[in-house]
Amino acid sequence: MKIQLKYIVFIAIFLFMGSTGKVFAGGIKGTVKVKGLRSPANVLVYLSKSPDVPLDLKRARFIMDQQNLTFIPHVLPIPVGATVEFPNNDEVSHNVFSLSRTKKFNLGSYKKGKSKSVLFSKPGVVELRCDVHAEMSAFIMVLKNPYWAITDDRGQFQIPDSTYFEKRGIKGLPDLEPGKYLVKTWHEKLKSKKKTVVVPENGTVSMTLKLTRGIPGVLYKR
Amino acid sequence: MRGRKSVLVALVIFFILFGLAYFPDLYSLRAENRDDPPAIHLFGRVMSRYGPVENARVRIAGRDKFALTDRSGQFEIRTDYLQANAFLVTAGKEGWFNNAEMANGPGRVKDIFLNPIYLGDRKDYQFISPVTCSRCHIKVTRYWDKSKMAHTTSNPKVLDMFYGMDNNKQEGVKPGYRLDFPNSNGNCTTCHAPSAAVSSPWSQELNEVLKSPRTEWDGISCEYCHKVRKVVKDQEAPSGYKPIFERQSSRTSSSILVFGPYDDVVVPPMAASYNPLFGEGRFCSTCHSHYKKLGKGNKWNPENIYTPAERKGLGLDGGNLLPIQTTYQEWKQWQDELPPDAPNKGKKCQGCHMSWRKEMLPYDNYIIDGNARRMWGVHRSPQRINPHHFDGGTERQLKTSLSMELEGEITGDRLKVHVYVTNTNGGHWVPTGETMRSVMLVLRAMDSNAVPLKMTKGNTLPEWTGKGAVEKGNYAGQPGEIFARVLEDDSGRINVPFWQATGVASDTRIRPKTTQEFIFEFALEDPEDEPSVEANLIYRPVIRQWADEKKWPVKDILITSKAW
Repeated sequence: MKIQLKYIVFIAIFLFMGSTGKVFAGGIKGTVKVKGLRSPANVLVYLSKSPDVPLDLKRARFIMDQQNLTFIPHVLPIPVGATVEFPNNDEVSHNVFSLSRTKKFNLGSYKKGKSKSVLFSKPGVVELRCDVHAEMSAFIMVLKNPYWAITDDRGQFQIPDSTYFEKRGIKGLPDLEPGKYLVKTWHEKLKSKKKTVVVPENGTVSMTLKLTRGIPGVLYKR
Repeated sequence: MRGRKSVLVALVIFFILFGLAYFPDLYSLRAENRDDPPAIHLFGRVMSRYGPVENARVRIAGRDKFALTDRSGQFEIRTDYLQANAFLVTAGKEGWFNNAEMANGPGRVKDIFLNPIYLGDRKDYQFISPVTCSRCHIKVTRYWDKSKMAHTTSNPKVLDMFYGMDNNKQEGVKPGYRLDFPNSNGNCTTCHAPSAAVSSPWSQELNEVLKSPRTEWDGISCEYCHKVRKVVKDQEAPSGYKPIFERQSSRTSSSILVFGPYDDVVVPPMAASYNPLFGEGRFCSTCHSHYKKLGKGNKWNPENIYTPAERKGLGLDGGNLLPIQTTYQEWKQWQDELPPDAPNKGKKCQGCHMSWRKEMLPYDNYIIDGNARRMWGVHRSPQRINPHHFDGGTERQLKTSLSMELEGEITGDRLKVHVYVTNTNGGHWVPTGETMRSVMLVLRAMDSNAVPLKMTKGNTLPEWTGKGAVEKGNYAGQPGEIFARVLEDDSGRINVPFWQATGVASDTRIRPKTTQEFIFEFALEDPEDEPSVEANLIYRPVIRQWADEKKWPVKDILITSKAW
């Protein structure tokens, strides 16, 4: 009798969670395969359009660090409306600036231990430079919606990527609503690719993207 | 017995409380000594045989902060805790030899005595070889030796242009200065072999200079720069500026006079003297600027090429000066036009062309190496060290010099492309320097089957970018733009060498931190098709015609590519 009760409780919990959609939430899983690059890591995979998702960015912390004459990370995706901090943790002064049409700013030179921040309110690619060190460059990808992922060392990704957002102080990223989506890629040295996928009512859809070396396109066409 | 114990305990508690009440700092002071050491206060005077020295820069050797002396030569330094028992307090001022005194802890420092540099440039002075400098400055000279700066005389292209040879040393290959002026040495050595140029009565012919066993005569040697006391305007000099030297040994010792940016170098082998010129853009003006005088009665009209502000900045108002290289003036005009609070105000040539490079990491805190470091090394922040790599016109520097963005819009059977080219990192126009350099924007619009679209509006690249296969770097007729200063002669021939030039045909180079927009339109055969656009920004060090004639193995450098 006791055993039967256990099974009933287990089935009830299973059904309950299924009905809330949390266990079998909508999402996109996939793998990026690349030709002409050593690693399929650090490819930005994103949705060109999605339903509007309000994000609470009050506690969000996006950081573009400066160490050993390098911007870290080299590519930083952020949602529109996010603020990025630019701490200088290097031994020499740096002068972060951008003349990109998406966001123009110039933080001037500042020393180790200091930090400045910039708000990004328009979607697009922002090319960062240091006015003193020619080798320093990085990209901030300002995205229209939070449905993106950066591929890992094996080229795998999952959208939505709640872990990425939680690490940066954004919680409660909703799962993808079922429907048809256009998935696009961006990598500094790879030709951009797009592919349409259908996210089912329950569960995730899997996909594979094969990329070749080339010039990436713009994030969003008008 | 019990009562006594209680009294004793009460007394102990009383004394503890009393102690805490009257000596509250006892604990906190110890804590401060451990975690937050007290500041050190040093004070003293900087004196000379003429009395106190005002505005001398005084610092603890190697430290970032310095104090200036007042009218009575007094200085005061407050600094954080120093681990050493004794430390060197240095003083330096323009026109004086640096000097120092040891301080044995906080308090008064013995008077620091400065000796003036008496003017007395010795024209017969022989510059010291960089090999000698490299014994102590190992890393600095190593990077200098790898730079173009170290081999300006033996640069094969310079010699080929001067003697009219090709890469195989075949004679009679134009252009060649000596082919046009067989009996003239020109003024090439002024910048390409400056040590020889200022050491008369040596020959001013490049090959003669190179035959000399004196290694310091190839390129811009260490001593050539570090003997410069100031830079003055001089209409006779090709650049309009000339260096004033102070070639002498110190009168107070057997060491040699060396000017530099440090006021805290006080070591026996060098009689160092702080010279703020070493941190100024003006220092570079003597060579990174080149004008040609057109001679009596000859003028050209710069009004069609440059704006009034540019004419003023480049010094072209008279019309009798032809600008060949104007890198210094381009930088200066940009700086002069910036408002005082602009983030880029105060940027100097040295900031970019003598900054740290990744290959040099980890950072070093010394400018001398080996035994010299152990004996005289001054530990300073990497921020105060300027590596001597002089990077410019290299792939590393060019990759971030320009940036580009593309935007496309399809209206019916028409694709309109906006190309934005920005001079992001150049503190001067890009490309700068020699007029044989150019940057090309090459655009390619295709349909979804990669078939090129027909351009209906927009510019194409000129013939001199090369006729022939695009794959071989020939871009004539391709949709795009050219960025270059193009010289012309009286007969209207363009891309002539500067000694033949009598005017500037065009100057489309990109001004610092500015964006130029270009619009191209293409016809779409199928309005439903999804076309794409690719754009490349390519740096070409030598114009195609010259590179072919001279058989120079020069390669284009891809600055950036963008797609839409």
